[in-house]
Amino acid sequence: MFSIFKGLVGSKNLTSADMQPTLDKMKDHLISKNVAADIAIKLCDSVAKKLEGKVLGTFETIASTVKTTLMDSLVQILSPKRRVDILRDCMEAQKAGRPYVMTFCGVNGVGKSTNLAKICFWLIENNMRVLIAACDTFRAGAVEQLRTHTRHLNALHPAERHEGNQMVQLYEKGYGKDAAGIAMEAIKYATDLRFDIVLIDTAGRMQDNEPLMRALTKLIKVNEPDLVLFVGEALVGNEAVDQLVKFNQALADYSSSSTPHLIDGIVLTKFDTIDDKVGAAISMTYITGQPIVFVGTGQTYTDLKALNAKAVVHSLMK
Amino acid sequence: MVLADLGRKITTALQSLSKATIINEEVLNGMLKEICAALLEADVNIRLVKKLRENVRAVIDFDEMAGGLNKRKMIQSAVFKELVKLVDPGVKPFQPLKGKPNVIMFVGLQGSGKTTTCTKLAYHYQKKNWKSCLVCADTFRAGAYDQVKQNCTKARIPFYGSYTEVDPVVIAQDGVNMFKKEGFEIIIVDTSGRHKQEESLFEEMLAVSNAVQPDNIIFVMDATIGQACESQARAFKEKVDVGSVIITKLDGHAKGGGALSAVAATNSPIIYIGTGEHIDDLEPFKTKPFVSKLLGMGDIEGLIDK
Ligand SMILES: Nc1nc2c(ncn2[C@@H]2O[C@H](COP(=O)(O)OP(=O)(O)OP(=O)(O)O)[C@@H](O)[C@H]2O)c(=O)[nH]1
Ligand SMILES: Nc1nc2c(ncn2[C@@H]2O[C@H](COP(=O)(O)OP(=O)(O)OP(=O)(O)O)[C@@H](O)[C@H]2O)c(=O)[nH]1
Ligand SMILES: [Mg+2]
Ligand SMILES: [Mg+2]
Repeated sequence: MFSIFKGLVGSKNLTSADMQPTLDKMKDHLISKNVAADIAIKLCDSVAKKLEGKVLGTFETIASTVKTTLMDSLVQILSPKRRVDILRDCMEAQKAGRPYVMTFCGVNGVGKSTNLAKICFWLIENNMRVLIAACDTFRAGAVEQLRTHTRHLNALHPAERHEGNQMVQLYEKGYGKDAAGIAMEAIKYATDLRFDIVLIDTAGRMQDNEPLMRALTKLIKVNEPDLVLFVGEALVGNEAVDQLVKFNQALADYSSSSTPHLIDGIVLTKFDTIDDKVGAAISMTYITGQPIVFVGTGQTYTDLKALNAKAVVHSLMK
Repeated sequence: MVLADLGRKITTALQSLSKATIINEEVLNGMLKEICAALLEADVNIRLVKKLRENVRAVIDFDEMAGGLNKRKMIQSAVFKELVKLVDPGVKPFQPLKGKPNVIMFVGLQGSGKTTTCTKLAYHYQKKNWKSCLVCADTFRAGAYDQVKQNCTKARIPFYGSYTEVDPVVIAQDGVNMFKKEGFEIIIVDTSGRHKQEESLFEEMLAVSNAVQPDNIIFVMDATIGQACESQARAFKEKVDVGSVIITKLDGHAKGGGALSAVAATNSPIIYIGTGEHIDDLEPFKTKPFVSKLLGMGDIEGLIDK
């Protein structure tokens, strides 16, 4: 006869069986928001572990307790453990008399070149002189795509407004050449001509294409960029996990170094195309533990944002 | 191939039926749970997965059913039917006609592989002695025309485009008219990437479609896409008359289950799959053999026709 009070009176220790129905619902909900299935399961398991044996407060229900605990974990996953401060690091490099070098990598068509151009725009707005290195020497039109962006960016920021300095230049050697070699020449060129930053565009590649993954590792190994950014699209589903695991794995395995340079940060693109299905942000940060440095929110130069962890979690729990 | 891993999991789940001594609700639920988990891991839309589960449950009535063998067969056949529904919309794909102009327009999300696949398809028909060509109606993406130009030049496919004209409708119309006059049979129109959230881009797509009156519109979808596919595909179909689907980037690890939701959302069959960046990395897609391969069974036809 006291059973009707069970939900309210907090005298019982939570068991995983109590939580299971709520957790199952949460898991499906996360999957529907495009969190990778595997990660949704792991997240729910960790919530169960955290709560098991806890005593519910007087007015708490199991559902609300599970939900708040899950939200806390999500915010934590999205909150960077390490801040990437590109402008500050650029100044440091300047003092050392060398350019700051960033490499963009990722699978095909995710938005590497476009978001490189957006980041270039942001850097120019911060008065940095940029050299773009056209190291996608494979895909048709890749070089012309960057040339067009370079022209547009210089038109938006003409030299007259920057003490006669042309703010962005393209370093290209056409198609078919070795990307690592072109990157090296570009960095040398940038050092000689005192550019502040080199942005290296690379060809899209599938994460299990060994020759292409070896080539990317070589590019990173010989050129030692300051920042390796992985570009991934918010549209991606369960593949997000495999992409990031295998990019990091390749960078580690093929470098034959005890301290290989892995992915330092993520650019999450096409965030404007997914409504509230924001789960890829969770999948990517969960796997790498690295911050989402930029979010791409459209196809123009100003469509570049910083991640708002709270807003993402809010969309996820909606 | 595609979904091979998924196929293995589903087959294993189905085998659990044969192993069980009695088939009851619990066995059925256990099997469905496994199948659904496998589908979700392959990015199949969660609503479609839930529907699949309900539909299978709905046809199985344990009280009314006879002996074990019959139950097994009924459950298996229900699962097959639902899986086939995922991949097969039950409409015949468009077939171009020899000796007349067939205008094929490509649409899809940004970066899904439209331009690459346009060239692949033109090349595919050209090899089979169709007079094929390509019109570049993407005036937005930087370097888009150069991409088409370089691809087509390499494959010796005639192309049309412009560095100066900014209106894709004008280019599409001019290009299609020109090639029609010249007696081309396969006239492929490449368009910019777009998404449903930007209304002006969808209006532009409609305007191009109205201008060139395509015989077929192909929706190109990337195999890595997750849960966002369905609503995008549905929106494309609501705006223009999508008739076929091509799934790209199946050379990687992606199982392509997310893209499958485009079949239901557009009520259109998958006609080809893209399996690489090179011009001949295009394979025809046949629904029924695909599903039977997926499930590692030869006799599905017999099972589903009941
Ligand atoms: N809606 C939207 N589109 C984007 C965004 N970022 C890039 N795109 C579009 O995505 C498409 C592909 O972008 P690219 O920059 O060429 O992609 P990529 O990764 O360099 O491609 P490959 O070099 O061929 O591998 C283009 O149409 C871009 O305009 C974004 O944040 N939102
Ligand atoms: N591995 C692989 N890459 C592909 C395939 N199809 C296209 N790609 C690559 O995907 C990237 C984008 O392809 P595009 O053809 O430029 O895509 P799009 O849809 O025309 O892009 P937008 O015009 O910007 O919307 C390029 O790097 C292509 O080489 C495929 O089947 N496999
Ligand atoms: Mg690129
Ligand atoms: Mg294109």
